[in-house]
This record gives sequence, structure tokens and C-alpha cells, in this order.
Amino acid sequence: MKLRYKMLLFFVVSTLSIVTLAYSQDKFKLKPGARGKICLNCNVSFQDKLKSPFIHTPVKAGECSGCHNPHSSSHEKFLAADKSKVCYKCHKSMIPEKASSVHKVIVDGNCILCHDPHASDNKFNLLKSGNELCFGCHKEMAESVPKVKFKHNPVEKGCLTCHNPHASAEAGSLLKDSVPSLCIKCHKTDKPSFVTGHMNYPVEKGRCTTCHNPHGSDRGVILYDNVHRPVANKMCNQCHNEPNSQNPFATKKTGYEICMGCHSNTINEIRSKNRMHWPVMSKRGCLSCHSPHASKQNSLLKSPMIELCGTCHGDTIQRQQRSQTKHPPIQEGNCTICHLPHSSDNSFLLNQPLVVEVCGTCHDWQRHSTHPIGEKVIDPRNSNLRLQCLSCHRSHGTENKQFIYFATTSEMCTQCHLQFSR
Amino acid sequence: MRAYIMKVVFAMIILSVPLNSFGDEAVKWNHITSVYTDSKGNGINRPEGVACSDKSIFIVADTGNSRLLRYTYQELAVTGGEEIKMPEMTYPLRVQINSSGEIFVLDGKLLQIVRLNPDGTFKSYIEPEGLPSPAPVIPRSFRIDSKENIYILDIFSDRILILDQTGKYLKDIALPKDNGFISDLAISNTGNIFILDSVKAIVYSASQESKEFSPLTTELKEYMNFPVNMAVDAQGFIFLADQSGGYITILGQDGSFRGHYLSFGWKEGRLRYPSQLCINEKQEVFIADRENSRIQIFTVLK
Repeated sequence: MKLRYKMLLFFVVSTLSIVTLAYSQDKFKLKPGARGKICLNCNVSFQDKLKSPFIHTPVKAGECSGCHNPHSSSHEKFLAADKSKVCYKCHKSMIPEKASSVHKVIVDGNCILCHDPHASDNKFNLLKSGNELCFGCHKEMAESVPKVKFKHNPVEKGCLTCHNPHASAEAGSLLKDSVPSLCIKCHKTDKPSFVTGHMNYPVEKGRCTTCHNPHGSDRGVILYDNVHRPVANKMCNQCHNEPNSQNPFATKKTGYEICMGCHSNTINEIRSKNRMHWPVMSKRGCLSCHSPHASKQNSLLKSPMIELCGTCHGDTIQRQQRSQTKHPPIQEGNCTICHLPHSSDNSFLLNQPLVVEVCGTCHDWQRHSTHPIGEKVIDPRNSNLRLQCLSCHRSHGTENKQFIYFATTSEMCTQCHLQFSR
Repeated sequence: MRAYIMKVVFAMIILSVPLNSFGDEAVKWNHITSVYTDSKGNGINRPEGVACSDKSIFIVADTGNSRLLRYTYQELAVTGGEEIKMPEMTYPLRVQINSSGEIFVLDGKLLQIVRLNPDGTFKSYIEPEGLPSPAPVIPRSFRIDSKENIYILDIFSDRILILDQTGKYLKDIALPKDNGFISDLAISNTGNIFILDSVKAIVYSASQESKEFSPLTTELKEYMNFPVNMAVDAQGFIFLADQSGGYITILGQDGSFRGHYLSFGWKEGRLRYPSQLCINEKQEVFIADRENSRIQIFTVLK
């Protein structure tokens, strides 16, 4: 029965291929036997390409017109469809129906970032082999992976040990399986050294990547470079229930209260200020921004500052991206150059009472302009306001140069200097 | 037959009038006045809160000066501006007035709700009694309904805590689990409870009987920057103060987007970082225009 089914399938596919080929030949009314050969008459250099060990099937079959239109096209390189769509004419199932994660290049239809559409020295027509290909874009990885003191063996073997290159139906980050299922395929969780190393906590149900850097690190057992002291000292029960309890991963307290045991000075200082950054006092408390175990980032931040702050204040970060003039602290993700992340006595959680002082940390405004500003200079528009840097500039950017509020300098100046307005 | 068609057309025209009456074009904001000083002529400094009553009184949280100011607004004129200041209240952020004239203040430094007598003297702190499980209560915002029940947005336990006027626990409703960050709540005249997710720009609602909130809107990020405060008018329209956008967004009773009003700027009628708004029965809107250090009063004409 199975053989008969296979035969039938083969027959259908063969028939369809012949029909497609015949249609293609007929479509362009090519001379008998012409097909790809006719293209090579002009594209002579392409002959060398055909000597590569891996040749794309339509190229091998001389089916140039499978992807290109020989006469005219609305797309570059005479492609038969937009370059983001042409590959999908044949390779339809690159993204699973319910994908948990998809490689951005696939979403953008940039297949040629990894594959040579004609021929290559590498399997699957890849432009480069192994990790070298991935490191072309993932430069941070390219820099860190060879340098780390403690390497993770699968990374050495190749990124595709753990990741799918196109999409994953199973997990985020293109992982072949979710964490910890992926990890415990190699790491035997019942080994005594594993059990004692994790202080008898049932971590096989946890998320390994909250502590371990799967790409290697400079710390033993590939912990992230910055480790929370209780984790480094293997004192998990300082925050969590005992490992043999009913709910071992539950924390002994919630919100900022659990951190108070050690960081009471910080919490007291936070609460002594007038203005709170509200997430500190929320249910997640300190964990709104910090990782409780280990992190790549200093101060155990969950992600680089610009990403982290942008999680909630995305509109402010995007304003900078749209701004004609860039403000370096924001571009570099140094939000804490101007803002206090926990609490402050000042508006916008600024780290100084006066805006002029905050800006003065980097800018010598007296050189920048002789316009009077400061606490003694009343804003002519509103006697409750004082003239300061933010009277003319929006520090996170505007659509205008030097992030001024108005399209032209004259328009801005005449907001106050009404006698000059036309 | 012609008469029948005429009747249908006539009925459609009549029906379409109330539907259109609050369309984008039909709403007009009329700036009445702005308040810059107290009764002694001293300037307001970064006010974060404003509450209005139907007895022509409005209270301002003059946050930068650590005090409240009491004004009267009658026949398009503002009078008063007497200071209310006391050691029990250090950093007023949000204010409310109940139907008895008592003033409630969220103190941002103490993280407590302060209750004042109608004459502005200190009465007590709101200490919730009879909570189902002991945990700190961290109020981010609060509201008082027409029955004088107190609704507290407790961010420490991710819930709306409902207390009676004496502070006794009545019930609580959990906030949606996947919320970005809930910054404010509002109660409609019909008793529906609304909460505002500033990060995702979603409004959720729950009836008095509900045990959970359900989304009233989808993510409205394409319409809003960072809404932080909300108020519901007598007809059930939802007004949202967008802090970094510097405008007010109006949503219909069904959560539909009705339009943006006002814009960022210094001139009267414009806003910089509005932080609380209040709407009275006459559809007069009071806005704490924080970074312009003033209160602005508008009428909304439909």
C-alpha cells in the first residue's frame, strides 16, 4: 500500500514538473534545447559559478526563467518577483504555521544574506560555512565567543546545534526546543554533581538561562559575568523556599520586600525621595529591571539600558530615533547619566534639581549660547517657569535640528521675542 | 410606498444625530481660563493633581510646593487659592473630593492616602482594615465613587482594592496578568471600573460584580504615547491624559477612539506633561498642566 502511494506521489510530482517545464519553455517560446544555455552566451563569467560543488536545482536544470524574466521585470536583476518573495515560489514551508520565533532575515525575505541563489562551495548554497556565516551579522557573538574563558561545547560545534536557522515552532530565539528541555538533552540532571551543584533545587523544571550564559562566559559553569552574591555563594534559600518544600522556587517574600533583607539601605533611600519610579514599588519590584540571579549587564540589569528603559518608555526612545539630531547619552543607552532609576526629588527623576545643572554635566552652555538661562531668568511665556535648556530643546529629540521644538530657529525665538515675529 | 421610505429615511436621520454628536468634528474644546497663582499671588509649582466637585470647588495638588490649593470656579471666574499645608502631607500627587466635601490626597513620598476634613484639616490616613491577607498596600492612584467607597490601585499586590468610606475591605479585583503597567483607574456614574495600562495603552473595564478586568480597547499605541491619567464624564466617555504626547484622547463608551484634543506647548490651551484631569457635571474639564506649572480649565462642547 505504501509503495503504491509513493509511486502515485512520484507520478504526480513528475507530471507537474514536466508540465511546469513545458509551460516555462512555452511561455518564452525558447528554441529547442536553448533554456539556460542561451543565457550563458552573454553571462560568460557565470560558467565558473557552475563549477561550484553545490548548485541551486533550477540553475543546474538550466531553468534561469524559474527566477528571472528574460525580457523585462519590475524587480532588480530581472527577477520574476520581488526579491523578498521569489524564493517562496518554491520554498513555501520555511516558516511553521504556529512559529514561536522567526529569523528576521526570513521575515524580511532576505534569503540571499545567507544563501547564494545560484551556487556555492557550501552545503545548502550557504555563503559561508559554520558559525562564520552567523557571525557576519551577530557581531557581538563573533567578538565574545572566541574570547570567553569557559566555552560551551555546542557553540563550538556550531550555532545550528541549538538553533534553527529559519524559524522555530517550539521556542523563542529560534531554539530547537524550549529551555530546559533543550539543555537536558545533554546535561543529565540526575547526576550527583548536577544535583549538588544546584543545591538540590529541581532546576530541571527551571530556566537554565536565568543563570547560565549558553554562549560561554568568563565565569565557571558559564554563569553570566555578573552574578548576584547569594547565587555565587550558593545560598538560594536566602530568597527561595527550601529545596524539599512543596513550592521550592517560590520566594519568601514578594516585591521590594524580598530585596530589603540585604538592600535595606537602598530601599530606605528610595523611599526617602519625593518621586518614586513606580515599578520599584510594584508586585515585581526590583525584578522589574534587575535579574535576581545573574546577568550579562552591570548591576544585574535584565538587558542593556536602552532596551530595558524602552520596554516601558518606548515612545521616548523612538522619539530619539526619529530625531534629526541625536543626543549621545540616549543613543548610547546611558539613561542614568541624567535620570535616577529608583527615585528622585526632581521632576522626570532627574539626578540634579536644576535642568541647567543636569545639562551642564556635559555641556558648557556659556560657550554654547549667551542667552540668559537659570533660576533667576523668568520665562516670558509663563511667570511660573524659568528659562532653562528644556525651554528651547527637547532632550529626547524632535523632528527638528538641535532638537528644538519648532521647525525654524526664528519660529522658536519669536515665541518669546514677540516684537520680531512677522 | 413613498411615505414608507420617507419614514425610514427620517428615522435614520434622527438616529444618526446622537451617533455623530460626539464624532471627531463635533467636539470643541473651549479654553476658559488658566490658574497660575494662589490667593497671595505666589506661583504654582509643577501641580500633579486636580479634583473638582459639583459644588464649584476645585482642589489643586501644588506638588512642587508640597501643598494643596482650594479654589472656587463660578460663572467662568476662578477665585480663592487658599493654601492647605500640613506636616502629615508631604508630597501631594493625586486628589479627590467626595460628596461630603472631604479631600483625599495620594502622598507620593509617604505612599499613603491622606484624608482631610472639608475645611482642609487633617483627619486620618486611609488604613485598609480586614484585608484577606497581610501585605503592604502601595497606592499608585485612587478614586472615590458616589457611595463614597474608596478604590485603590494597589501596585504591590496588582489589584484594585475596594474599601468602604471607613476603610473596611469590601472586595478586590486582580489586575490583568499580562499588563504593562497600570497607572490609573476611573469609576463611571454607572459604577463601572476602568483601569489604564500606560505602557500598552490599553483600557480595561470591569463591572461592580466582576471578578476580573477585560480589555475595553485593543493596544492603542498608534494613537497614544504614554497615557497616565483618566476620567469618565457623565455620559461615559473616557478622557485620557497623555503625558509625553501633551494631549487628551477621548474614547467612546465602547472603547472606540474618538480623537486627540489639545497639543504640546506653552501657550494657553496647550499642555506639557498633563498629569491629572477632572470633569464635572457641566462638562468642564480641569487639567493639572504639570510642566507649565498651571491648571487649565476648558469646556467641552458637543
